[in-house]
Amino acid sequence: MASANDNADNAAPLFTAVSGSARQLFQLLRCINFVSKSHVQITKEGLRFTTEESQVMQGIAFLDKALFTAYTYSPPAHEDTEDFEPAPFQISLSSLLETLQILGINESKDRWSNRDSNYNGINGFSSRGGPTGAFDNRILGMNGICRLSYAAAGEPLCIILEETGVTTTCNLVTYEPEFQEEIPLQKDAIAQKIIMRASWLHDAINELSSTSPTRLTIVSSPTAPYFTLSSSGPLGSATVEFSKDPQLLETFQVPRRTVNTYKYSLIKGASRAMAIASKVSIRNDEQGVLSLQFMIEVEGGGFSFVDFRFVPFIPEEGEGEEESEVGEAERFE
Amino acid sequence: MHTLSFSLTLEGVVRIHDGVLCLAKFSEVVSLEARKDKLILTALNSSKSAYASFSLDKTVFFEKYNFNASQAKSQQSTEDTGARFTCQLYNKALLSVFKGRLGDVRDKDTAVERCECNIQDQPDKTECRLIVKMLCRHGVTKTYKLTYESVEVMHALFNKSAAKNTWTIGASTLRSFAEYFGTKTEQLDISSEGGRATFTSYTEKIMNGRDVLKQPLQTSITVDSLDFEDFKVEDQLHIGISVKDFKAIVTHAETLKASITALYSFPTRPMQLSYHEHGMQCEFTLMTIGDYRGNSVTPAPAAVRQGSAAPAERATSRQSTVQTAVQPKTTTMPPPSQSLSRSFTREPQSQRTQRPSPPPPKASLDPQSLFLPADEDDDRIWGERIYDNEQDTLGWDASANNDPILGGRRSDQESSSRLPPYPAWQEDPNSRIAPTQKIAEIRGLFGD
Repeated sequence: MASANDNADNAAPLFTAVSGSARQLFQLLRCINFVSKSHVQITKEGLRFTTEESQVMQGIAFLDKALFTAYTYSPPAHEDTEDFEPAPFQISLSSLLETLQILGINESKDRWSNRDSNYNGINGFSSRGGPTGAFDNRILGMNGICRLSYAAAGEPLCIILEETGVTTTCNLVTYEPEFQEEIPLQKDAIAQKIIMRASWLHDAINELSSTSPTRLTIVSSPTAPYFTLSSSGPLGSATVEFSKDPQLLETFQVPRRTVNTYKYSLIKGASRAMAIASKVSIRNDEQGVLSLQFMIEVEGGGFSFVDFRFVPFIPEEGEGEEESEVGEAERFE
Repeated sequence: MHTLSFSLTLEGVVRIHDGVLCLAKFSEVVSLEARKDKLILTALNSSKSAYASFSLDKTVFFEKYNFNASQAKSQQSTEDTGARFTCQLYNKALLSVFKGRLGDVRDKDTAVERCECNIQDQPDKTECRLIVKMLCRHGVTKTYKLTYESVEVMHALFNKSAAKNTWTIGASTLRSFAEYFGTKTEQLDISSEGGRATFTSYTEKIMNGRDVLKQPLQTSITVDSLDFEDFKVEDQLHIGISVKDFKAIVTHAETLKASITALYSFPTRPMQLSYHEHGMQCEFTLMTIGDYRGNSVTPAPAAVRQGSAAPAERATSRQSTVQTAVQPKTTTMPPPSQSLSRSFTREPQSQRTQRPSPPPPKASLDPQSLFLPADEDDDRIWGERIYDNEQDTLGWDASANNDPILGGRRSDQESSSRLPPYPAWQEDPNSRIAPTQKIAEIRGLFGD
């Protein structure tokens, strides 16, 4: 029955997904919310959100398709080759996060219940202005159903949120990507690998903030002191030292001593992930590129991973604090 | 060998944090003074009208305490007992190191178990660092190296013998009063009348033309003197301090569950609030304001102050050398009919303007009165330590040890001029120690 015109309009979108919990997505995406724009790459396996700061820090949140109750990725038929991936696009991450919590992920029951039912009937739901019933979506754990869709390259990313009969539709403009490459971590030249509880790293990083530092130095060594984070500032210096206690450092593979310095404020940018993650894998390659991989237990079971990569300062002889702002771009390789 | 090294349990760390937090209300820097038997943390506010000191006892407060006097260079204060190490560092730095560790115990696996501190000032290493090592569970060590400034430390002197008014009350009671004080009130007036004490916090109205810059606000709390553990205060005496200081003090005292003792003579003379708990001797010396200068809105000349103030003080300090011995005669009496001015108006040579004294004392409007008079009084009230002068050591010890003999020293004799800093000492006939006496001998008197 459908006309050709309708067909074009209703052509299966490139990508659709339904998530039962907007909160899960919100939790993960908030970890990389250190800049406002994020790249989105849609793949068969899931959605990859990448943010970048000054070409020396990248945060990658991968929303695995297992997080969604339905996940359809249908590349155009004529391009249906094995490794086809649509061109990444850029969206405003802060807007996306705002959208995801528009119905009050951080709780706001009364926000709607006391209103007139005008708002409630929109989706054909009978308005339930009264107190929470036994079948309330919140109690059933169905709050915040979230549909994502992306029709085709250049189209907006469409997010539809449903909660208690309220539907929010949000179209986020997609932009041309600004950057292409990832910060390369030479996986075949990993200099060290340490796995520990993320909360301990978080604690250590917070501890160092007392000196209001510009730089963070990470030293790992096969002999004591095994793993230290240190910083210094105008009021003095601070060092947090971890022993090799297997209870502390679950994995400790450090064949030789490495010393790397990073910009403190950037590392601090990953603290949201440190706070909610259960474990972190700290890896360095030969060039000093730091990878922090956080394992995050999402609500409702399962694990997701959020990655961060940092480019180190180039070690210089006798370099001082005051040089800390020297062009970071040139260190990027 | 370090000049100073000490170690603390978690409890000690928390207490230091509480103390530093309290000192932060007074000044952004903390002065640290190490002695053979104690560590003293002090803060003096920028207008020098409030001074806070925490004296931490070597054996009670610390797990280990070692002060190596011979290493303590700098201080010219000769040999042995007088040796001390003084320095100053930012409160912010200390606060971030000793920050709320109590929460750690509950929520974190890497809670602090012990804290070791030492001073690094050997010439062959990096100098001027206070090194704080937090040893946590699972072998996590957090080391801080805080830069300090090696300076001489000022301590406030307080003449206990002249302070004939005293009361003692549980900190939690006082704290509960402080909660009623409006957040924007600035002054606290403490008065007593007919066996009842009144705490009045107030802000006076400030107008600039037709604009009201500050709205007046007043909260009064009246307490029966029976609620005090000890209450010996001259009737009708009004004395004013800053609400902010008061709140800082009672908040801290409450953490120690201590009882606060106040000692004061009369307005414009310092008031001392003190309490002692868990090896922590806490003393606060606050400048007070009051209306005895009458309605004058400009600071009275020093001569007037001395004319009226000194005789009253001298009279009491001659009576007794122990501060608590003076029994205010009016405490148990009913309120004197309508004697509208305070009892020391009996001084014939008083040049005060007599005026009613309702709380709050309006005459204290003069903002200058919060501050120490910048003239003669300075040297006597806020004695700066001068290290080639042994007497100031004594001056400090007097207040720190509550020694009644030294307490008998009168710093208010009008004959004491401004130089040298401790002339009162030399001229004090009650003193049994000649100013030139060696400090070692004086120590012997105290038996420490």
